[in-house]
Amino acid sequence: MAEKLLEIKDLSISFGEGKNKNIAVKNANFDIYKGETFALVGESGSGKTTIGRAIMGLNNIENGDIIFDGKKINTKLSGSEKEELTKDIQMIFQDPAASLNERATVDYVISEGLYNYHMYKDEADRKAKVEAMLKEVGLLPEHLSRYPHEFSGGQRQRIGIARALVMEPRLVIADEPISALDVSIRAQVLNLLQRLQEEKGLTYLFVAHDLSVVHFISDRIAVIYHGDIVEMAETEELFNNPIHPYTKSLLSAVPIPDPALERQKQLIVYDDSIHDYETDKPSFQEIKPGHFVWANTAEAENYKAQA
Amino acid sequence: MSDKELFSFVPAKGDESEIISAPLYSYWKSVGRKFISSKLAIAMLVLLIALLLMSFIQPIFSGYTVINSGKIDDFSLRYNYPNFRDWFGTDATGQSLFDAVWAGAKTSISIAMLATLISTFIGVIVGAVWGLSKSIDKFMIEVYNVVNNVPQVLVLLVLSYAFGSGFWNLLFAMCVTSWVSIAYQIRVQVIMYRDREYNIASRTLGTKPATMIGKNILPYLISVIVTIISNQMPVFISLEVFLGFLGVGLPSDTPSLGRIIADYTDNITNHAYLFWIPVLILGLVTVSLYIVGQTLADASDPRTHQ
Amino acid sequence: MSNKKVILSAKDISVEFQVRNRTLRAIRNISVDLHEGETLALVGESGSGKSVFTKVFTGMLETNGSVSTGTVTYGDMNLTNLKTNAEWEKIRGGQISTVFQDPMTSLNPIKTIGSQISETIIKHQGRSSEEAKAIAIDLMNRVGIPEAEKRYDEYPFQYSGGMRQRIVIAIALSSRPKVLICDEPTTALDVTIQAQIIALLKELKEEYGFAMIFITHDLGVVASIADKVAVMYSGEIVEYGTVEDIFYDSRHPYTWALLSSLPQLATTEKLYSIAGTPPSLYSEIKGDAFAPRNPKPMAIDFVEIPPKFPVSDTHWAKTWLLDERAPELTKPEGIQDLHDKMVKIYAKEGGA
Repeated sequence: MAEKLLEIKDLSISFGEGKNKNIAVKNANFDIYKGETFALVGESGSGKTTIGRAIMGLNNIENGDIIFDGKKINTKLSGSEKEELTKDIQMIFQDPAASLNERATVDYVISEGLYNYHMYKDEADRKAKVEAMLKEVGLLPEHLSRYPHEFSGGQRQRIGIARALVMEPRLVIADEPISALDVSIRAQVLNLLQRLQEEKGLTYLFVAHDLSVVHFISDRIAVIYHGDIVEMAETEELFNNPIHPYTKSLLSAVPIPDPALERQKQLIVYDDSIHDYETDKPSFQEIKPGHFVWANTAEAENYKAQA
Repeated sequence: MSDKELFSFVPAKGDESEIISAPLYSYWKSVGRKFISSKLAIAMLVLLIALLLMSFIQPIFSGYTVINSGKIDDFSLRYNYPNFRDWFGTDATGQSLFDAVWAGAKTSISIAMLATLISTFIGVIVGAVWGLSKSIDKFMIEVYNVVNNVPQVLVLLVLSYAFGSGFWNLLFAMCVTSWVSIAYQIRVQVIMYRDREYNIASRTLGTKPATMIGKNILPYLISVIVTIISNQMPVFISLEVFLGFLGVGLPSDTPSLGRIIADYTDNITNHAYLFWIPVLILGLVTVSLYIVGQTLADASDPRTHQ
Repeated sequence: MSNKKVILSAKDISVEFQVRNRTLRAIRNISVDLHEGETLALVGESGSGKSVFTKVFTGMLETNGSVSTGTVTYGDMNLTNLKTNAEWEKIRGGQISTVFQDPMTSLNPIKTIGSQISETIIKHQGRSSEEAKAIAIDLMNRVGIPEAEKRYDEYPFQYSGGMRQRIVIAIALSSRPKVLICDEPTTALDVTIQAQIIALLKELKEEYGFAMIFITHDLGVVASIADKVAVMYSGEIVEYGTVEDIFYDSRHPYTWALLSSLPQLATTEKLYSIAGTPPSLYSEIKGDAFAPRNPKPMAIDFVEIPPKFPVSDTHWAKTWLLDERAPELTKPEGIQDLHDKMVKIYAKEGGA
């Protein structure tokens, strides 16, 4: 049985107070195992980015626990604990144009974390680490003295990946890392992330808004809608047997790159008023082994019958 | 090459496309290039340097002092219009207005420069910390709202009376009343940049606040800081002139443009050169400073670099 | 379809930019026609020049850019001769409208939605404000805004991204243009909203009968909406054909690479990706622009730009592979029998 690296228990996060209170995440529960890629897929406003940022300690959480490698991390931590955590969990950001310091050289950008914790023996060692990382992401040593704005989006994203990975983290939260890239460059970055995962034994939490993108790289997928996780299963199972109507609409929305098929396709649209949760309250139910759906008792019976 | 050679397959060159062919970007070189491209700015810079040189070097040679009883009895030397011996003419005490104006300019510019540098330095540091920390922001905003609503000139007058006139006293008073609004301007800018994604990234890498200010925020504020400096210096010069006009600020034995202009306000039409020449010099210093500063500020904004 | 009239035509268009005393060619010799009622998809990556090219049709090139050669004709009007803004105002928004990518910045945040639509109607159709309001509400209904009457007086910040884009489309169509240029209109939207907007555009096209140029880098969207496809790379159109030609019978190595990197075609071990980075719009190009990233280049690709080689009446490609002297090279195995592969993939997937 694989070890759990990250556990999210009854997590709820909200912003604002009183009338303006916005509940971003309602009651999230999931675990991520060592070495796997866990995808969290949802559209804007679903809460997926909020969860990622809460794990990084960038958001306050209202309720629940975040447990990393057996230890609770959403409490007061000592300085050295914080330092370890920063090295262990790193993030790759969405916008290659905004996530790099435009006024610093690529050398500094990648080394920033190394400088913060003096993670090198001497200058030569640091340089070696940075150049090795640069090579891993497919860039050239001469790029070190250049500035981010001189690079294309795909190259910048690779710089961001180098910056995160040079810290030698165990868990990497990739927050929509390819959404802002051209479709042909996405494949390049996905391949890179896949390769680095195998080489370094990394665990990924991959946040995305498009299911087709995560099919290749994820082992398990959770679909999130308006703060609730509505479905969670292994990748192939989710794609072959989607159960929750929102998941079905999400799958249907991706345009098929085949003119004949795409034009015959019937678009499935999701309307959340089809659920009646007045008396029969929903919960996260295991419909098939390893395949969970957010449903009330009546719906769950329905789903099990159809499975 | 023959057709056969041309149409044969060759090895792929994947990595080559990663090479960036454009020349290395250097921020300061681009700033310089943008500045030099404005002919007006270059002209103003030359003028400014000339004015500064005159202000600081000429008084060394002229040995001018305000109270010079040397030739005070020679009435023929008084109130002479500009001529070949005295380019700016002579004043009420028979001394060359030329010497008086440059000595006065030296004082006025020195105090304005020092006041600008000191208040900007304090303002930037306070403003940066203010903007970065949400808790300090809550507190400082209240302070600012109170302090900012007190008219600066009033405070200067009070301090002048309280501490007496004198170069360093005036300098102190000017700095004390100006750093707050500079800090506020910086704070507004810092808040704009504070939550940008690259700063969030820095926090996740464990970067400390001091480094954040130094490496992540201040480099973006160069343009703003230059603008502040280029605005403040003329303001301080005018302030000193205005105070001199009111008869406060600098003591009567320290030469200053303010004193000269104050002394000769009666001469706007009669012996007009006594009033208008100092005013002209003041205007030239202010305008050239402003234009050079503004052009430098625009040039420092990387969005104008191509 | 091939008998339809040509409504917009570009012949040998080149666009140059003045950057720091150097002249750089961003668009290199493009000729393409748009027929009445047709949807032409312009596919390419960032830096391919697709946005710059469409700005030529509405006179919206930046001040340091100019059309250095070639002509653009709209109907029988020669657009390349238009110089002043006043002349362009008659075409822009009225005859040829554009929908841009970002609905946040396309609308004026301090004016009500309704007034922004009415304004365009009053300007281009010379109606009174009551008539314009009625037409505007009708348009809002048409593009799927619920409770249009009430929402007429709301501000952009009260609309979601998808709703805003619908309004932008409404404004663009208010003057019944003959040509609608859509510059990545759905790239910034969620996937489900994207699907709805594409469906909306298809319906409106049927009803209003305009021709559309649709810029995108997503081949799925192309499959959904295009009649003809032009694949752009580094300022040139490298392949042009009907949507079936491009998906099932592509000939240019870049088109092959784009199709191969579709995520749907990934196996559990491998996802194909193109090596390297596309050239920036301002780089000097020698030979075939795609050569450095071509997995199987020929010597001549680095020496000379290939001319257009016809494949059929509707289909041509600019690649030396189509020259009779070139050796046989079939397209990569991954994209052969694309249709059958897709059918298999989507038959497995529930819900498609």
